[in-house]
Amino acid sequence: MLTITDLTHTWPGQSQPTLNIKALHIDKGERVFLYGPSGCGKSTLLGLLAGINMLQSGQVKILNTDLATLSHANRDRFRADHIGTIFQSFNLLPYLNPLENVTLGCEFSKQRHKRLADKNTDVKTEATRLLNALGINESVLSQDVSKLSIGQQQRVAAARAFIGEPELIIADEPTSSLDADNRQAFIETLFSQAKGYQASILFVSHDQSLASLFDRQISLSDINGV
Amino acid sequence: MGYEMTLLKLAIKSSLNRKASVLLTLCTIAISVMLLLSIERVRQDAKSSFSNTISGTDLIVGARTGDIQLLLSSVFRIGHTNNAVSWQSYLDIKDRKGVAWTIPISLGDSHKGHAVLGTDDAYFTHYRYGKKQHLAFQQGRAFHNGQEVVLGSDVASKLHYHIGQQIVISHGMGNTSFHHHDDNPMTIVGILAPTGTPVDKTLHIPLIAVDEMHQQSHKQPILIGNKPQKTNDHDHDHDHDHDHDHDHDHDHDQHDTHHDEHGHQQFTLDSQPGDLIGAPKQITAFLMGFDSPLYTLQVRRNINMYKAEPLLAIMPGITLRELWEMLDIVEKILLLFSIVVVLVSLLGMLTTLLATLSQRRRELAILRSVGARPIHIFALMSSEAILITFMGCLAGCMLFYGLLITANPLLQSQFGISLTIDWLSNYELMLLGAIMAAGTLMGLLPAARAYFYSLADGMSIKI
Ligand SMILES: Nc1ncnc2c1ncn2[C@@H]1O[C@H](COP(=O)(O)OP(=O)(O)OP(=O)(O)O)[C@@H](O)[C@H]1O
Ligand SMILES: [Mg+2]
Repeated sequence: MLTITDLTHTWPGQSQPTLNIKALHIDKGERVFLYGPSGCGKSTLLGLLAGINMLQSGQVKILNTDLATLSHANRDRFRADHIGTIFQSFNLLPYLNPLENVTLGCEFSKQRHKRLADKNTDVKTEATRLLNALGINESVLSQDVSKLSIGQQQRVAAARAFIGEPELIIADEPTSSLDADNRQAFIETLFSQAKGYQASILFVSHDQSLASLFDRQISLSDINGV
Repeated sequence: MGYEMTLLKLAIKSSLNRKASVLLTLCTIAISVMLLLSIERVRQDAKSSFSNTISGTDLIVGARTGDIQLLLSSVFRIGHTNNAVSWQSYLDIKDRKGVAWTIPISLGDSHKGHAVLGTDDAYFTHYRYGKKQHLAFQQGRAFHNGQEVVLGSDVASKLHYHIGQQIVISHGMGNTSFHHHDDNPMTIVGILAPTGTPVDKTLHIPLIAVDEMHQQSHKQPILIGNKPQKTNDHDHDHDHDHDHDHDHDHDHDQHDTHHDEHGHQQFTLDSQPGDLIGAPKQITAFLMGFDSPLYTLQVRRNINMYKAEPLLAIMPGITLRELWEMLDIVEKILLLFSIVVVLVSLLGMLTTLLATLSQRRRELAILRSVGARPIHIFALMSSEAILITFMGCLAGCMLFYGLLITANPLLQSQFGISLTIDWLSNYELMLLGAIMAAGTLMGLLPAARAYFYSLADGMSIKI
């Protein structure tokens, strides 16, 4: 489902490459925990996989598509169609309500719309269903997002990542602003959603206590040859 | 590019989210747009009402003063006027070779604040304004004798006067004149069609009437504004019609039959033709038309070197242009100021957009993560600027029309400039277009910055 070969990445203005990865493979439905010290290049790697950062050398194949062969526009479209993203914090647009923040996940993707249509549902119903499944109360759906707790905000962000069933979910330290109890609960809700349609999860964190919940643990320092 | 609707929706919601600053920016743009449109409308309308005041007159002759002074007093009724061209000189010059027509005018009297102009019947045949239009009668006819008066349309409608009514004309320009010529009531026989010039605000009487009332000994006023034998409720009827219905001819017919039915004495326009000129000693000025421009120049030179008394002959077209050029600087400065005000308001928008941009980098990264392309980010940011400018222009137009409607009566009564309350002219639409273009251009700057942010930031969002 995801294959990396001979990937190197050097940020402009830096003499040393940030990343130099010989090989990495993630299977369909696999849940991977990626950890490493701050500044070792975890976010950089995720940016490359999402097609937001420009690929410099090496190969990244997702769903048998070589990202390097895609045009800028197609790479953005590919991300919209196949990758759901959750950030560390402030995931939501302040001027959209929780429901609109979730449906935003489909706005730039025809394919996500199509998948929902194939499931005989529409964006709004699916967003409501996801939010309910992630434990967001019906009453806050059209509230101001700034009134939500951090935990609720992260779950809304998760619902946005999952809507329209993208094959890969990328999460960059989504739990670091949550307390210990909420962390575990949050990860479990992620897993239950991913299980539904065999989504792969690449989860970045430096909180080793969560590592055991995942199918596989990868230390970026180990695979990164810099 | 696709996703226009999504982006527009986002732009609107994001703008609404920053209501306070957006509203403030919008207000400054709206006010500046209103200012620019108002100044331009007044400028245009003042210019056209100015240059349309008199046309087809080759020379205006008066006592020797400044060119502009003579024009202002004889045509615009502005400034002090005294009769200073002797009738003898008038008759002499009138008979020069090449003179097609002359109109003597005698100013200085007033009636309830409106100028009274003494002249002869040449006025109604030769006076022209606008695009060489002749004066037309909305009702009635020219005066036939020394007891008849013809009103400008504004005088009739403001004072609720009608054909057949008798009025009293006072000596001097003031509203509260000491000596009213009360023993000299005059009958209204004609009301002119509106011209948009000072003619509308003028009462026209024969020269002989001017002379007669000045010769009379000054007596105490007896009564003012008396009307021929009519009942009160009838008067009320009539006034009402004058207020609301400008189809005067029709009106008048109706009232005639009304009179008959009630057996009142009916006013007829039949009167004895009499002398219109009498034996005036002096007049204020006179207008001249010539058979050929060559005569104009020649006679003008002669008049300016006239031996018997110091006279001045001006060509109204040239003097009007001189007058306008004098005002031109003021007008240009006003325009410049209002353009600067618009630019400042647009710069204000630019400042707020740029200031909020760094706070919005996170927002841009989120949009990127859900698949928005950098070009979408660019479009989103520039459409916010366009949206704000557009709404500002729209609100500015609304303020402009509000101002136009409220200020029009004041400008009309104080300066005689009647603003056209009309749909925006092509020129004004062009101004709005230029403002929109400037706003759009300014919007490109934050948009370009957002574009590069979204490329450089990648996945890691800095607050
Ligand atoms: N947008 C960028 N432009 C230039 N350099 C960058 C950019 N993002 C990251 N870097 C550099 O790349 C290196 C790795 O950063 P990255 O954010 O990938 O680390 P990380 O492992 O995610 O750290 P953390 O755990 O603190 O989030 C850093 O040295 C950083 O300076
Ligand atoms: Mg990071």
